[in-house]
Amino acid sequence: MQDVLLAPRVTSRVTVAVVAALGVAIVLVLSAVHLTQGTSSVSAADLIALLTGAGSDRTAAVLVASRMPRLLAGVVVGAALGAAGAGLQSITRNALAAPDTLAVNAGAHLVIVACAAFGLVVPVEASALLAFAGGLAAAALVFGMSGGGTGPTRLVLAGSAVSLALFALVSVLILLFTEETTGLYAWGSGQLAQIGFGSVARMAPVVLLGIAGLVALGRRLDVLGLGDDTAVVLGVPVRRTRVVVAVLTVLLAAAAVTVAGPVGFVGLCAPAAVRLVAPLVPGLYRHRVLVPMSALAGIGVVLAADVLVRLLLGGQGGVEVPTGVVTTLFGAVVLVAVARRFRDSGPVRQAPAARSGRLRGRRTFLLVTAVTVALTCATAAGSLLFGDAFLLMGDVANWLAGRAGPVTTFVLDARVPRVLAALLAGAALAVAGAVVQSVCRNPLAEPALLGVSGGAGVAAVAVITIAPAVGVWTLSGSAALGALLASALVFGLAARGGLATDRLVLVGVGVSYGSMALITLMIVFTDPWNEAKALTWLSGSTYGRTFPQVIPVAAVLLLAGAAFVRVRDELDLLALDEDTPRVLGIALGRARLALLATAAVLTATAVSAIGLLAFVGLVAPHAARALVGSRHARVLPVAAMLGGLLVCLADVLGRTVIAPAQLPAGTLTALIGTPYFAWLLWRSRMFTG
Amino acid sequence: MRGRRIRVALGAAVAALVLAACGTTEAPAGAPASPAPAGGAQVTVTDARGKQVTFDGPVTRAVGLEWALVEHLVSLGVMPVGVADVAGYSAWVQAAPLTADVTDVGVRGEPSIETIARLQPDVVFATPDMNEGAIAQIEAFAPVVVMRDADASDAVGQMRRNVELVAQVTGKQAQAAQLLAGFDAAVADGAQRIAAAGLAGRRIAFADGYLDGGRLSIRAFTDGSLIGTVTRELGLVNAWAMKGDESYGTATTDVEGLTTLGDVEFVYWTNKVEGPDPFVDGLAGNAVWQSLPFVQAGNVERLPDGIWMFGGPASMRQYIDAITVALAG
Repeated sequence: MQDVLLAPRVTSRVTVAVVAALGVAIVLVLSAVHLTQGTSSVSAADLIALLTGAGSDRTAAVLVASRMPRLLAGVVVGAALGAAGAGLQSITRNALAAPDTLAVNAGAHLVIVACAAFGLVVPVEASALLAFAGGLAAAALVFGMSGGGTGPTRLVLAGSAVSLALFALVSVLILLFTEETTGLYAWGSGQLAQIGFGSVARMAPVVLLGIAGLVALGRRLDVLGLGDDTAVVLGVPVRRTRVVVAVLTVLLAAAAVTVAGPVGFVGLCAPAAVRLVAPLVPGLYRHRVLVPMSALAGIGVVLAADVLVRLLLGGQGGVEVPTGVVTTLFGAVVLVAVARRFRDSGPVRQAPAARSGRLRGRRTFLLVTAVTVALTCATAAGSLLFGDAFLLMGDVANWLAGRAGPVTTFVLDARVPRVLAALLAGAALAVAGAVVQSVCRNPLAEPALLGVSGGAGVAAVAVITIAPAVGVWTLSGSAALGALLASALVFGLAARGGLATDRLVLVGVGVSYGSMALITLMIVFTDPWNEAKALTWLSGSTYGRTFPQVIPVAAVLLLAGAAFVRVRDELDLLALDEDTPRVLGIALGRARLALLATAAVLTATAVSAIGLLAFVGLVAPHAARALVGSRHARVLPVAAMLGGLLVCLADVLGRTVIAPAQLPAGTLTALIGTPYFAWLLWRSRMFTG
Repeated sequence: MRGRRIRVALGAAVAALVLAACGTTEAPAGAPASPAPAGGAQVTVTDARGKQVTFDGPVTRAVGLEWALVEHLVSLGVMPVGVADVAGYSAWVQAAPLTADVTDVGVRGEPSIETIARLQPDVVFATPDMNEGAIAQIEAFAPVVVMRDADASDAVGQMRRNVELVAQVTGKQAQAAQLLAGFDAAVADGAQRIAAAGLAGRRIAFADGYLDGGRLSIRAFTDGSLIGTVTRELGLVNAWAMKGDESYGTATTDVEGLTTLGDVEFVYWTNKVEGPDPFVDGLAGNAVWQSLPFVQAGNVERLPDGIWMFGGPASMRQYIDAITVALAG
């Protein structure tokens, strides 16, 4: 009798042990290969010779002062991020939660960059403390915004918003304070290479402590996974556990950032990889196993990415290509693979789309429309007047009549296309976002997050890299093709067994991260010192836009707008649930496909006009829904207006505040959008409790 | 109630904006402005795009959007009216200082077209890195000469051609001939001093480095770089074996990569605006660095700040002086 009861437990322990041993073996092999790679001629044979006591002093020096620190940095960073990801995913019950998506990395990184920018030279310990403070502040902001960390969806939304805003601040600092052209990449992407054991040695105990803490809380986390109510019944202090775990994960992520900068994606994909194996090994779901295994997987991901790049590009290539870019690319593939097998098990259920579902009257709609139209017109007019030269309305009138003085003419000739590009691209992204959110019935779904923007960006950057002199229509066309391919890829990969929205977002995030990394890689390889190009494509900028570049956006916006007016009721139904449209005779698959394709083309023209501009497609539809309810006949025009308004405002601020230097519109979009978005979340929290 | 208040506030704001924003900052155009510059025959140059740009005689109001081109202008005696990132230029390029009245036109990657327009320049010197739409917008009011500021297949040749092109546009051919002759003399003189000190054929590795927390990336100036070429003309041998990028001839490595150099003179360059010295402060106590033969032999030299390694004849003369002093004493 006792044997029968004990048997499953024992086998589970054995399989867990086998899996763990396998993981350790993989990491050991990776470490061994990792040690043999580098920019010097020191090879495996030299290292073996060293082991047998026949090696040279130089080999020893390379091993001790270059290879070992790099390896240990990989181990510390991987373990920290992997464990942190597991912890965050558990307390938020969301597979998308990670140091990256909860803004912990961004907060920690911002503080470190700020110190460097303002010339504060701080010792490693102090910088780790500062990074911890930054990460903690960011996380606290996210938790605060989302209302105490109860709603997983809201938590991730808030996290994404804060993360975007903080990274925007980082790029502002880099832009303002980087005298030399070392470039965005060295700063923004994690690099394992170390000039000594210093930071690794100081951070390793922190990481060990953090992981030990999470393991110690493992039982409570297990119970928490059953739901808050169950946990309360079973006597687990839900809130306190969440806070303690959050602090521990922040500590871990901050330690990782201190060692190597933000190494992207590890915290998201390492626990996901463990959960991939978990259905076969039941014991893995227990946090006392899950946390260390995620740490192990994190190490594996970091080292494998680093080993792979040196295998492909050689030792010097491994220096030129930031490790963080590679982990992102590598992690993106793993994430997509994981997401494809994703079963809606574990703590990943999401609330249905965050529609502020209150029906609002026609009067409200008309009022809101009038106000947004007025605001948009005022902002557009204002952005014609402001810049590094201040003009007056009379100048604009003269310009329109074709009789302005020479300086006014030149200034407005350059300014008007920028204002138009901002308005139209903002509107296009907002409309695309609204459509994608309703078709996918997911508040997180937006063209940028689903990889559609990234696909467009990859195609556009590839085209201008191969054939720099192509026309605007070729560029927009290629971007559209890229966007459609990316959406086809995302939906194709996610479609297995029905279109589960969780899986869709996971695959989309993977493709999106992957395409960002691809764009960075393309620029690193073809045009490493061209920071302006990188800024345009990765942050979104209206710099140097001309009228012909704006025409495709305007044309597609007009066509798509007309189409959406016709199908507005179908859009309402699609946003509702899976069954209603079917019952009413809508060909669900075909309707979704057509709508998503239109959204993809809209996104692509916007991207080819002003680069990757995240956030607009997320925030504008949310704002529109909060203002006028969820009917698309009302949401779409208001969202378009708000999107245009947001980007236009960002653009004029970027051109004015630090003139004659300027900040890219995308950076300021995030900075302006976040406070609004925070307020929006706060407000919806009060309505829906 | 709330709606009405919003409406009233908005109406007031719009009215205020309209009232405040009426009028003009510039009188409407009457007769076409900008008379032709005084005197001189027409000058036509072909720029890096293969485009022919014509000027009605030598120009005086120039804007430079890349520092090497600015240095050429200043060296030829033409103080530009506008320069991208004046503060950066002043910190990094001391061979040809700007006067206080030069206008900052913004960052080098995305200079402000509006500020450039207000300067009403006769010519704008840019590089192919510049956004094409922006070039088109500038060309609406001023001719743009696009110049490839560096070419790793012929670094010194490219520098000469650029100096001559700038001279042609600004009518300073005589000064250009003098500047280039002075550079040639400095190279010859430097080579002689190197040879006299018995250093001909000595291997040198020239680099700069960027320290960022616990990591250091090192930029190697390979044979194709301007520095690499000048160094070779001095009778020294470049120790870097890797291939650099196509324009600047630079490559990236890390501390470990220094072990491939062997017995060299290690010469580096940095600027105090960057913070701590990347090599001396950054690598103190690093075992690889300590094990390097040139570190053990004390053959590590930091050149004075403010010599622009991507610059023109004036910067290169500073470099030649600095390197001969550093090596030959």
